[in-house]
Amino acid sequence: MAEATENTRKKSQVADVDRSLYDFKMSEEGYERYADGLSTDIVRAISEKKDEPEWMLEMRLKALAVYEEMEMPANWGPSIERLDLNHISAYVSPKTKQADSWDDVPEDIKNTFERLGIPEAERESLAGVGAQYDSEIVYHNMRAEVADQGVIYTTIEDALHDPELEPIVHEYFGKLIPMRDHKFAALHYAVWSGGSFVYVPEGITLPYPLQSYFRLNAQGAGQFEHTLIIVEPGADLHFIEGCSAPKYYEANLHAGAVELYVKDHAKLRYSTIENWSKNMFNLNTKRATVGADSIMEWVSGSFGSHVSYLYPTTYLQGARSSCEFTGITFAGATQDLDTGCKVILNGPDTTASVDTKSISKDGGINTFRSSVIVGRRADRARATVSCASLMLDDISRSDTIPAMDVRNGSASVGHEATIGRISDDTILYLMSRGCSEGEARTMVVNGEGAIG
Amino acid sequence: MRDMQERGIMSDQLLTISGLSAGTEDKPILHDISLSVGAGETHVLMGPNGAGKSTLGHVIMGDPVFQVSSGSITFDGADVTELGPDKRSLAGIFLSYQAPVEVPGVPLYSFLRTICQMRPELKTTARKFRTRVGEIAEQLEIDQNFLTRELNVGFSGGEKKKIEMMQLLLLRPKLAILDETDSGLDVDALSIVSRGIEAYRQECDGALLMITHNTRILERLTVDRTHVMVRGNLVAEGPASLIDDIDAHGFARFEEALPQKAEA
Amino acid sequence: MANTIITAGQADTTTLAHVNVPPAQTWNYLRINDISLTVPEPHFVGDVYARLPRLFDAVECGVGDEALTWITRAAGDATYLEVKAGEVREEPIYVDIDASCCDVADTGVLVRTGASATIVTCAHGAAADATSASLLRVIAERDAQVKIVEVVACDEGQQHLDAVGIEAAEGARIEMRQYALGGAKVACGLCCNLAGNSARFTLDSRYQAAGTDVLDINHVVRQRGRSTRCDIVTTGILADSARKTMRETIDLIHGAKFAEGSEIETVLVTGDEVVNKTLPVILCDEEDVAGNHGASIGAISPEQLSFLAARGLSEEAAEQLFSRALFDDALIHATCPAAREAVLVRASEVLGEETSRDMAEVLGIDAKEA
Repeated sequence: MAEATENTRKKSQVADVDRSLYDFKMSEEGYERYADGLSTDIVRAISEKKDEPEWMLEMRLKALAVYEEMEMPANWGPSIERLDLNHISAYVSPKTKQADSWDDVPEDIKNTFERLGIPEAERESLAGVGAQYDSEIVYHNMRAEVADQGVIYTTIEDALHDPELEPIVHEYFGKLIPMRDHKFAALHYAVWSGGSFVYVPEGITLPYPLQSYFRLNAQGAGQFEHTLIIVEPGADLHFIEGCSAPKYYEANLHAGAVELYVKDHAKLRYSTIENWSKNMFNLNTKRATVGADSIMEWVSGSFGSHVSYLYPTTYLQGARSSCEFTGITFAGATQDLDTGCKVILNGPDTTASVDTKSISKDGGINTFRSSVIVGRRADRARATVSCASLMLDDISRSDTIPAMDVRNGSASVGHEATIGRISDDTILYLMSRGCSEGEARTMVVNGEGAIG
Repeated sequence: MRDMQERGIMSDQLLTISGLSAGTEDKPILHDISLSVGAGETHVLMGPNGAGKSTLGHVIMGDPVFQVSSGSITFDGADVTELGPDKRSLAGIFLSYQAPVEVPGVPLYSFLRTICQMRPELKTTARKFRTRVGEIAEQLEIDQNFLTRELNVGFSGGEKKKIEMMQLLLLRPKLAILDETDSGLDVDALSIVSRGIEAYRQECDGALLMITHNTRILERLTVDRTHVMVRGNLVAEGPASLIDDIDAHGFARFEEALPQKAEA
Repeated sequence: MANTIITAGQADTTTLAHVNVPPAQTWNYLRINDISLTVPEPHFVGDVYARLPRLFDAVECGVGDEALTWITRAAGDATYLEVKAGEVREEPIYVDIDASCCDVADTGVLVRTGASATIVTCAHGAAADATSASLLRVIAERDAQVKIVEVVACDEGQQHLDAVGIEAAEGARIEMRQYALGGAKVACGLCCNLAGNSARFTLDSRYQAAGTDVLDINHVVRQRGRSTRCDIVTTGILADSARKTMRETIDLIHGAKFAEGSEIETVLVTGDEVVNKTLPVILCDEEDVAGNHGASIGAISPEQLSFLAARGLSEEAAEQLFSRALFDDALIHATCPAAREAVLVRASEVLGEETSRDMAEVLGIDAKEA
């Protein structure tokens, strides 16, 4: 018995993700907040406020109808029973205009982002920054030399008001993620607000990443930002998104959509660090389509949320295109995170590599869910999926549910999954190199947590 | 080819390698190798670890992992440099793997029968085949129940080597290249494997190219020629007595001598 | 063996909507979560009093309740066998399912403490557009040793449903081999419940599907006892426009400390129109456990290919070797003459008569005996 106590003590050395950094809230006083729940009136009001083209309003109304008609899958996935849309406000806006200088951002919002280190990061290592507070973007800025190359980094709302950009948005918006994809994709299209529009012209390589930061401050609210990125042939972009929210005792909802168009000979790296608070239902949809000889890289860190449904999807359409997905998920107490990815290999000689790690602790639930589909025409396509899941105690849970559908005889697909404890051999090896058992365990867990 | 025919080397040699350079895609391993083995002869290829001996064995077999950048391999009167390993095998080359590959799902019986049926000279009735396999199993002290087990799956190192010898005796190749067949064997297994090699020499009158860095397995064999390989170069060739010399002094003097040879 | 109530060519049919449903499902649009089968509606032919002891009702089978209910109704009769404590039963228990008579067999075997037994089931033959089925439930008591060989060697026209449920008490050892060698539409569902500590299950599952065959396999292993072990190795060959779905679930249930479960699937795809779906699931609700899964789908591995080439086999010859090996392996392990005969009949349909005869002779199986 003494041994068991010892063991417990050692395991507790593996610390939780430190949330103190994100867990502060600002007053909502003086904010524009729409009534909770959903109705055509609310959808119309959002559209009207944004002064949108007619096609966008039509799309919103159609999406609302689809949302009302669709059901959540009954046979899989974490429960969202406690998410009551009648108690969620679809639109909450701080009373401010979008700024392009930090000095013009209202004090409380500025304080928020400064505590999260956003302006500092911009000065040091970013080509541009966008910051969204609840439903609206409050700050957008990009380095002059990047803008001079024709790179566009703005909000979808502003792009819709620009006669040159409006046709581009119209052409791409909502084409990759259809509103019928799932119930919350439909909801997204009905009430979307904020997000980013990025356009990288042919042949341009951005020297630094662009970063958008999403902060949901309001209680009982939803965030539905839409990110649309177009990387033209031969261009190269690294885009980073960060998300956080303070903890409330009421459910918050995040149902964003990310549509990524990577043309031929191009490259896009999309990194996400998601650290929503543990009252968040994160039902986000991300999708990329990749042209010939192009590279799509995902780095996805999921640490927050009460419930997550998150599976970034890549369509490898062009010949020799490739996709690399690196994911890490940490589920602690009260968390039920269903994460993974989908890859569809349609072009010949396409390659996909998926590498995920998950850690479950204090009753947290991790589900790795993936699908790899190799289409009829994907001659010589190759895909490998590797996932490792770590259980740090016996009250947590970790499931691995990878599906594969291969329809080309010359394709090869490999898959490996391991689940369970840290192997005794690893611990023994590290101990033989002078680590205490506790140190060794911590080292392995941190090693799993490190994002490559 | 024409050069060799003119010089009349062709006729009495089973295997002729001339000016062969080869390696993997990113790394040259073998440099300008020339070597001949006559029918029924026993040759030994020695050299320190990592010298490229196994690579040469695999290149002779036609392993697609390695690419030939120049030179040629002639076997039994035909240029086989461009042939795939299956064709070379059917022509009479056998390579015993240092680490035989596991093939789950394939019982040993199915495998042995299939590789024999590929060769017109070995086609025979199922009953005769069964008898022959039984004889060899007895000769090599292989338990009958191995024949219904999956090829090499869960076999010990010694068992795998015995199964390699079984294929050697069954296929009766003209040339057998035995790649470190002695490595990792205990005394009993070593003596059974040696017996298998002797049986091959006597029953099939086949030529033998032994790749080894250990001279123990050679004690029972009459060696015709010895070749020494260092860092991908053949640095010495001599009679059987060269083995005793290496036994006593190691490879140091060959390694030291290499730079001069490379220059020349 | 079983009382047959279905007759061939019956007009009335019913649809089993969700057969072979795994414990954890995924996106429905992938159409990987189940299979549906249209089967004859069982006809009432009179009162049947024979049924299995009630304890078999608790045995989970991989096909699901809907299919289970249909089989027990269609079979009408059930066969119960008991192997007494400590008995070493040499003679295999043989369940013959003759598809040409639309057999539906419902069998329950109780292997008592410390006993050992071998059970062979074999579905074979053909009747155009007909359905045959087998349900085998096995309860292995403490330290029992059970070998199960399940052979499905139906003809191209046949639909067959094969269900197996196993309950393993402490220290019980279950060694199972499954051969799915043919049939127009075949669904095999299997569940093994490792209820007792140190219970162990090994499964060697092999399949081949060609033409327009549809093969649907569901393997579920519940690891409840401490230090239980499960090793599943699956090897398959898919040719032409065969469609295969394989679900494998290792469920490491809370309390199964020190349990280990592993599953490996290797699929050789030789056809350009093949649909090959795999859902290998590991569920883990316990800490000190290890679950592993590996899959490789596509061609023969380069190492194997180059080794086989060095022994004279071209890629095509190597593929043929794998086909033959599958039938050879079934012959080696299906030790009943009738099962062997069925495998040979199926082999001659797939590989040709000459190869089939050669296989029997090389393995020393007397054709007269079979």
